[in-house]
Amino acid sequence: MLLQYGLHEMSIAASVLDAVRAERALHGGARVTRAGLRIGELSGVDVESLRFCLEVLASDTELAGASFEIDCAPWTRRCRTCGAEFRVVEARPACSACSSTDTEAVGGDQMELSFLELEEF
Amino acid sequence: MRVPLERKVLSENDRVAAALRERWHRNRTFCINLISSPGSGKTALLERTLAGFDAGRRVAVLTGDIQTDNDARRLSRYGFPVRQICTGGACHLDARMVERHLEGWPVHDLEILFLENVGNLVCPTSYDLGEAVRAVLLSVTEGEDKPLKYPATFHHADLVVLNKIDLLPYVPFSMELARENVRRVQPEVEIVEVSCTTGAGLGTWMRWIESRL
Repeated sequence: MLLQYGLHEMSIAASVLDAVRAERALHGGARVTRAGLRIGELSGVDVESLRFCLEVLASDTELAGASFEIDCAPWTRRCRTCGAEFRVVEARPACSACSSTDTEAVGGDQMELSFLELEEF
Repeated sequence: MRVPLERKVLSENDRVAAALRERWHRNRTFCINLISSPGSGKTALLERTLAGFDAGRRVAVLTGDIQTDNDARRLSRYGFPVRQICTGGACHLDARMVERHLEGWPVHDLEILFLENVGNLVCPTSYDLGEAVRAVLLSVTEGEDKPLKYPATFHHADLVVLNKIDLLPYVPFSMELARENVRRVQPEVEIVEVSCTTGAGLGTWMRWIESRL
């Protein structure tokens, strides 16, 4: 029921743990001590809620005790005029280097598993 | 031992969504995902849209809600196939729900499939449903700063529909500021203004759909 009556972070967390389990299986089923996540500013995910959901869902499973390192990826755009890649602050899409408004989306909506730390046999 | 990875968290959803997208591409079906807060007028817009199509058009709607089939009942009056997706608590549709609700539904040669997402400006954002375009509705009673408060949702929009413009005389809403805020978050987005009550702007919306087929 937790999965149903949750924040959407709960379903995201369930997908994270599925991804962790799949990768763990590819590495001989070793115990996972740490998992790294890269979550973009534009992914619509609240990092603290996600962390809470991950801990709740991992408890009493083979992933219990694993810690989660969540890295926030900034909202970025690239300037089509000068080529600079810049962080979008306060939703201002103009280039921070040359002020051009001709810019394109680059990043900020990622949700990725970025690493696993596994116990050595 | 540290293993570096670049695995998408929603890879399973993305896989199903990619298969759906491939299917729509093959069948020449234009699939549109409608997202907004609860009460912005997604169902009203679909009612006016369905009413505007000739009976022979091959159009269908999958409508998502946490509970009730009220929307499916509202929409089924127009004579086109409509199915309700009851998420039973989930605050968004995912690709698997769409795939499951298409099973056993004779909608093989559709021109247009509308996916009415669960009313929510946050959660549906991360879930690709295999749509060709994403339309985000914002009604004038909600305030012009919604795009800045919910940038993730507006950032992924292909079209923003500003709804309930008939109420502009009664609410402190600046259309100019709303448009500016939408464009700050997503400079390339198209914007249409409509009223599902008076019908204003619906011609533009219908022409936008037809232009994408």
